[in-house]
Amino acid sequence: MEKLKLIIAREYMSMIGRKSFIVMTILMPVLMILIISIPFLVGYLNDAGSDVEKVAVIDETGRYGSAISNTDLFEFIPMRADSVGNPHEFYQKSGGDLAAVVVIPRDVDSTAQVTIYSENTINVVMKSHINNALSDTITRAKLASYGVPRLQQMIQESTVQVDVKSVKWDEAGGETETSTETAMVVGLVLALLTYMFVLMYGAMIMNGVIEEKTNRIVEVIVSSCKPFQLMMGKIIGVALVGLTQLAIWAIIMGGISMIAGTVLGVSALSDPTAVSTAGMPAEAVNMDMAEMWKALMSVNYGYILSCFVLYFIGGYLLYAALFAGFGSAVDQASDASQFTTPIILIMVVALYAGMACIENPNGPMAVWCSIIPFTSPIVMMIRLPYDVPFWQLSLSIVLLFSTAAGMVWIAARIYRTGILLYGKKTNFKEIMRWIK
Amino acid sequence: MENFIEVKDVVKQYDGHIALDHVSVNVPQGCIYGLLGPNGAGKTSLIRIINLITKPDSGTVTIDGHPISEDDVANIGYLPEERGLYKKMKVGEQIVYLARLKGMSKNDAQREMLQWLERFDLVEWRDKKLEALSKGMQQKVQFIATVLHKPRLLIFDEPFSGFDPVNADQLKVEILRLNEEGSTILFSTHNMESVEAVCERISLINHSQVVLEGRVDEIRQQHKKNIIAVDLQKDEVLQPCDELFTQLPPAMGNKETLIRLNSGVAIRDAIAWLNEHHRLNGFHEILPSMHEIFIETVKG
Repeated sequence: MEKLKLIIAREYMSMIGRKSFIVMTILMPVLMILIISIPFLVGYLNDAGSDVEKVAVIDETGRYGSAISNTDLFEFIPMRADSVGNPHEFYQKSGGDLAAVVVIPRDVDSTAQVTIYSENTINVVMKSHINNALSDTITRAKLASYGVPRLQQMIQESTVQVDVKSVKWDEAGGETETSTETAMVVGLVLALLTYMFVLMYGAMIMNGVIEEKTNRIVEVIVSSCKPFQLMMGKIIGVALVGLTQLAIWAIIMGGISMIAGTVLGVSALSDPTAVSTAGMPAEAVNMDMAEMWKALMSVNYGYILSCFVLYFIGGYLLYAALFAGFGSAVDQASDASQFTTPIILIMVVALYAGMACIENPNGPMAVWCSIIPFTSPIVMMIRLPYDVPFWQLSLSIVLLFSTAAGMVWIAARIYRTGILLYGKKTNFKEIMRWIK
Repeated sequence: MENFIEVKDVVKQYDGHIALDHVSVNVPQGCIYGLLGPNGAGKTSLIRIINLITKPDSGTVTIDGHPISEDDVANIGYLPEERGLYKKMKVGEQIVYLARLKGMSKNDAQREMLQWLERFDLVEWRDKKLEALSKGMQQKVQFIATVLHKPRLLIFDEPFSGFDPVNADQLKVEILRLNEEGSTILFSTHNMESVEAVCERISLINHSQVVLEGRVDEIRQQHKKNIIAVDLQKDEVLQPCDELFTQLPPAMGNKETLIRLNSGVAIRDAIAWLNEHHRLNGFHEILPSMHEIFIETVKG
């Protein structure tokens, strides 16, 4: 036990102290924030520098010319068709002053077709803006042409958006409101977390094993302790490194979102118009926040998180042991792909199965994949928020842990032979012999 | 002298290939013992069994009178032929870590380490990463890590390989000192000069079996070829005497006259005859070197 502790401590300290760990730990949240903010940044950069472009609107009907409102990017100048003449000549005469020419034909009411001419590629934003503005205006004009009083209002009033609420009964008939979307997101996040963690730190274990083997230090170490202790020390040490990293990320992200929340909250309160310009009245935003909060709270976190921890540990052990065992069987990292490819393939299958299960979390594939130990740590995460029957959950956990224990046993047998064997190309057949 | 290590009838097989075939080796307490043999003869397999890295298929190993067990790793120090340490770890941390794995306390390990670092002139390197050290210094660090916990049995696999003559000498002095302090030392080597210089006893392993075992001086006596170097007066030419001996061509770079006695002829009879017929300045018997015995045994 003392030796195992020593090995775990060495693994942990040696990795925590590495520059790559520190850089990765700090860089990752920064990257995440960058990725999240890219759409905003791109939008900002797009709008900020560019000049307003002029677009001539040649209106043959004489009614819709001013229907297209100006935006931050485009100024639409209504023109009478008879004053312009040939659109192409008009465009050329402008000497590059015009970005495009929009022609609204006389029969637009019946054909619903408008053309944008330009020598440049047409901007998508412009196209959709014109589309929206004209569709709206022409629809209204058409409705008005029927001569039915208050028709517009009647149509608006009769448009219904059904809000489907999901309510869960407990056995006594009590009601809790649930949110399917939130359940889905929570499950997906946990599944992705497991997937990433296992692959990232599994690879780390394998590299550690290969490094010790190529360094030849392994022979010195196993003359002081059992190969099993060395292997388990590495698996546990790396797990602690991973958890440390997750904890740091959680703290950083939490801090950032708190700061962001405060800043955004204050600005929203002090300037309600800022929010309403985003397309929704401030009231609606507040209501949405409240709904979201309620939805987030409707998930049973105690239950889900304790299951997550169990599956996380079991899944990590299972795959980490595989990585350690296979790492010991090769002389250098480049030889390892024949063993890692199947592992990664299984993981990817598990992830896709999990994604597919979102649509039918109680279907046969979801049920089987959440019981089979190699896929259960990922697929069960998706199913968890949808109330998995107790027998399935317990069967799955028992299977996962017994398979993980079996895998550790098998890995230990591969490991103790593999680490002392050099210069031999190892294949699956060979490894099967070591296990026997 | 009591045996510190007794290897009895050990068999080890790998994938149908026999690495050790009923091998028995006895290493007396306080002895410097040489384990000789060509590459692939089974030396490393035997060392790994004594080290508890692998288990024998059959046979027993006892240490200090009891069957060897996990608790004995603290009593063994092992320097493998293929040296290796953590490249990214600091010298001091590394030595202390390896000593603690052998059961030493942190404080003891640090105290002892400082003495050894001073002895090898490495104190200023204590907080440097191993990869910053020259190869020779890394070897010294590994040597320190091997002996720091004062093991009663030291196993050195080709300890002098990779050392320059000056450092090799320093290492030899340290090994002899450790032996004087009571450690039993097991050498695995094919460097026969070092065997003659430091080993009291040897086992020669060939094709998975012990083919020669015993005290170095006795083995050399047993393998003597009845060759005598005679020193005659200047300008004298040896007269043939077919009943007693045959003259051999002189060894390279040596002006001594060599004769091989016929079987059954005693040295004193030959010397008496030589005294009669020549003016003899002196003579000495030529014993085969361990190098010759090794080659003869392995090839023979």
